[in-house]
Order: sequence, then C-alpha cells, then structure tokens
Amino acid sequence: MNELLWFVSRATGTASIVLLTAVLVLGALTAGRRSRALSQTVVVGLHRSLALGTSAFLLAHIGTAVLETYVSIDWISAFVPFTAGYRPLWVGLGTLAFDIVLAVVATSLLRHRLSRRAWKAVHLMAFALWPLALVHGYAMGTSNEPLLRLVPVACAVVGGLALTWRALARHADQERRQAILTQEWS
Amino acid sequence: MNLVELLDQSGLTGRGGAAFSTATKVRAAHEHRAALVVNACDGEIGAVKDAYVVEHHLAALVRGATLVGGRRVRYAAHRGSATEARLRAAGLDVLSAPARYVSSEETSLISLAQGGLARPMTKRQPFVMGGADSEGRRIRPTVVLNAETLWRVAQVVEHGPHWFRAQGLPKEPGPRLVGVGGAVSRPGVIATSAGIPLRDIVAAAEGDLDRSGPVIVGGLGGVLLSRAEAAAAPWSTEGLRPFGGRPGPGVVHVLDPDACPVVELARWFDHAAGESAGQCGPCMFGLPAIAADWRELAAGASPAPARQRLLRRTASVTGRGACRFPDGVAGLATSALRVLSDHLADHASGHCAAGQTSRSSHDRVLAH
Repeated sequence: MNELLWFVSRATGTASIVLLTAVLVLGALTAGRRSRALSQTVVVGLHRSLALGTSAFLLAHIGTAVLETYVSIDWISAFVPFTAGYRPLWVGLGTLAFDIVLAVVATSLLRHRLSRRAWKAVHLMAFALWPLALVHGYAMGTSNEPLLRLVPVACAVVGGLALTWRALARHADQERRQAILTQEWS
Repeated sequence: MNLVELLDQSGLTGRGGAAFSTATKVRAAHEHRAALVVNACDGEIGAVKDAYVVEHHLAALVRGATLVGGRRVRYAAHRGSATEARLRAAGLDVLSAPARYVSSEETSLISLAQGGLARPMTKRQPFVMGGADSEGRRIRPTVVLNAETLWRVAQVVEHGPHWFRAQGLPKEPGPRLVGVGGAVSRPGVIATSAGIPLRDIVAAAEGDLDRSGPVIVGGLGGVLLSRAEAAAAPWSTEGLRPFGGRPGPGVVHVLDPDACPVVELARWFDHAAGESAGQCGPCMFGLPAIAADWRELAAGASPAPARQRLLRRTASVTGRGACRFPDGVAGLATSALRVLSDHLADHASGHCAAGQTSRSSHDRVLAH
C-alpha cells in the first residue's frame, strides 16, 4: 500500500508538471491579440479549465506524498516550505509552488470581487511558480528513473520557448499604445 | 430656497456639451461631498467660450464654483493657455491639463486631478459618487462642471430662475455662449440662446450664410451642415436633430466657400486620429482608419467602395469607446459624407468645383 502511494505521488507530480506547462503556454498565448486562427475565448477557456484540472493532480500528488510513510513529509510541510524531514530544500520548493498555486487559484475564483491590479499582481507570481515546480520535479526525480528528469527538462524547453515568444512578439495594439504613451499626458 | 431647488427651477443644463441637468449634478455633488473641477479647457475644436468667461466674468465664475464645491475647487485649463495664466494671476488653484482633445474630457480631468494621466476612464458609475479606475486605483468623489455652467449658476442665484427662463426655449432655457469661427469677419464669442436661427448667430460674428461654405456645428464631435441647411436651421436641440447634431459645446465653424471642404475635413479627421489616448481599439485604430478613408476619397478614389468602407467603419466604432470620442468623430464623418456626396463625386471624376483649388494643391495639402 505504501509503495502504491509512493508511485501515485510521483506519477501525479510528473503529470502536474506537464499540465502546469500547458497552462503556462496557454497563458502566454493570451497576451494581446495575436492570432486570428486561434480564438481567444478557446485559449482562455482552456487555460482556466486546465489550471483547475492541474490542481486535482496536484492535490493527489501532495495528499499521497504526505500519507505514505516511506519518507518523512507531514501535513505542515505541505503548506510551510522547508520543514519536511526528507530533502527539505527540494520538497520546500514544491511547497512554495503549491502555496503560490493556492493564491493564484483563490484570486482567480474571486476575480470578480478584486481589482484588476490586485488580481494581476498575484497572477504574475505564476511566473515564479512554474520554475519552482520544474526544479522541484527535476531534483526529486532519481537518476534510475530517467523519465522523471526528462519530463521537467522537456517542459522547461517548451515553456521557455513560449515565454521567449511572448516577450519578443510585437503586435499593433502594444506598439500604438506605447507610441501614444510617449506623448504628453500629465 | 436652496441652490439645488433654484437650479432645478431654472432648468440649467451643462454647457460643456452633454447638456445634463446641473441641478441633478449639484445635488449628487453635495450628497457625496464631491470636490469640484471647473472645466475651462475649451477642449472642443474652435471652442473659446471658457476663455471668455474667465476673461470677463471671473468673479461670478468663482462665486458659482464656490457655491457648488465649497473650498475644494480646482480650475482646469490647457497648459500654456491665456486662460491658465489668468486663473493663476487670480490666485486660484489651477489644474494644468495637457492641451489635447481627450484630456479635457470629464473623466480625464478627474484622473489628472488625482495624480493619474489625463486620459479618459471607464465610468462604471458617475465619478461624483467616487469609484475606481480600471486599474483599481481609488477615485474620490469629484464633479466636473463647465466654466460657463458655473457662471450661469451664479447668475441664477443672483437674478433668479424666472430671469433665466425668460430666455431661450421652454425646453432649453437660459442664455448661452457660442464660439463662432472660420470664414467670418469677427470670429469670437456670441451671447445668444437656444432657438435663435443659426444664420443670426453667424451674422453676429459678421459672417454670411448666404455666401459661405458648409458649416460644422459642434466641432469634432458635431456635424457638418450644408450651407442651405445651416441658413435655415434654428440653433437648438430640436432644430439640429434632423441633421444628427445638437448645440453641444457651443461651437460653430463656417467653412470658406472658396476652399475645398473635403480637404478641410481631411485636416480635421487627421487631427482627430492623432488625439486618441490609445486606450480603446475603436479609437486608436478606428480613427486613423476613418482619416485614411477620407483622405483616399478626397484624393479621388472611386466613391462607392470607399464610401461603403467609411460607412462600415463609422458604424463599427460608434458606441465603443470609453469616452465617446469615436462616436463624435464618426458622427462628423457620416454627416460629411451625406453633405459632400456630390462634391466627392467631383473629386472622383478628377476636378474639384470649389473655387480655384486645383487637384495639385489638394494633393499637397493631403500629403502633409
């Protein structure tokens, strides 16, 4: 039983990393209006649904990691970073990522009650969440299971490409807004 | 009788363009203890009456402003204008606004007064109640009233609502100022009231609507009237409605009969395109597109397709900007298409009938 929990925990953890990367790529695609072929509504809808789906895998990952007794991770270290008895630094990065997930999900569910500025400030923390999760996944993967290390690396490449594109891509809205902002407005 | 009752009886409406009930606005301002921004920007093209009020009736303006805003009153004027200098010389608290079209808009001034940029804000509720901008920044209750409106407030208090209602029309009572410019001998401010023939208002500025070009009533947010329409129209909401116009901010611009009106309008649309605050797509892309369409029409493009495209564009920007600037420009473009349709056909066939203006000089102006 303990062994089963251990395997489920690693499997759901790896799945979470893949899903999280997909959510990140979709999020990067929503910046500005870029493509007429890809409907913005579909991209945003998928980004949201997939993000909620990811949380299910993440909860399973954390739940099983705590329940199994093979290594020492308790409920407190699921929420408070760097308190686990087992590899505190690497587990702690995962905990930190989870805390950010909680904040991002909570603010997004309450988005209609928050100011755009507050929501966005929290949502931008997702850019920290993703690399934390990748490093956590890479470091926790053991060398006798190459797949566990390959997945975070592949995700880093794909997500990195999406973020690079987001940073470099130009579009008419942004350019005109920036040009106008250089005029006298105050 | 208190101020709001007096204003209610007088039927005074805002002289800045929207013609909203001043009594309603002042009541809300007092309920929410709103600060007052006096709009003396003359933001509309050709507007000069705020400057006139500040130059000739400053004491009464200050009395009116103090009645509405108490001690929390600021006077907004375009940076570098004579009006700004006069307000400063009088020791008033001046809000120096960038000399641009949308910066003189109500919500732009509120944003500027509270440390933001002078760009329009989305109104989820009237800012007289306070609220927040789209970034979530808190906006304190603020009311914006036009300089002429506040001068009228002081007059209503001094002379009473009956004096006020004795002028103008029952539905649009009270004296009004109109700025008349363009092809007239004595451009400037004319004191008049609603219901007076447009012809008489232009004549007061020593212009002649029997020998003039078309007339723009209401500036960039107004409409173009043909000479004949303008010569017959009364200056009132009812009188201008058939043409899609209204008294608005009190601006009348008479076009020169010897110059090509299409070229003149092209200059107006180019100016409008450069005035966008770059916040709403219909404004930042729609207005340059409308200006480009118009330039193409003026340069002699085949009228039917260009006209269709322009009509489609004016329809698609209408009602979609936070501050209604695109609505105003689209209204001017639609009315100009209607009034100048024959003239545009001349352009397409390669000759312009207006005065001595030749195609080559058009091209020079339009290339500029």
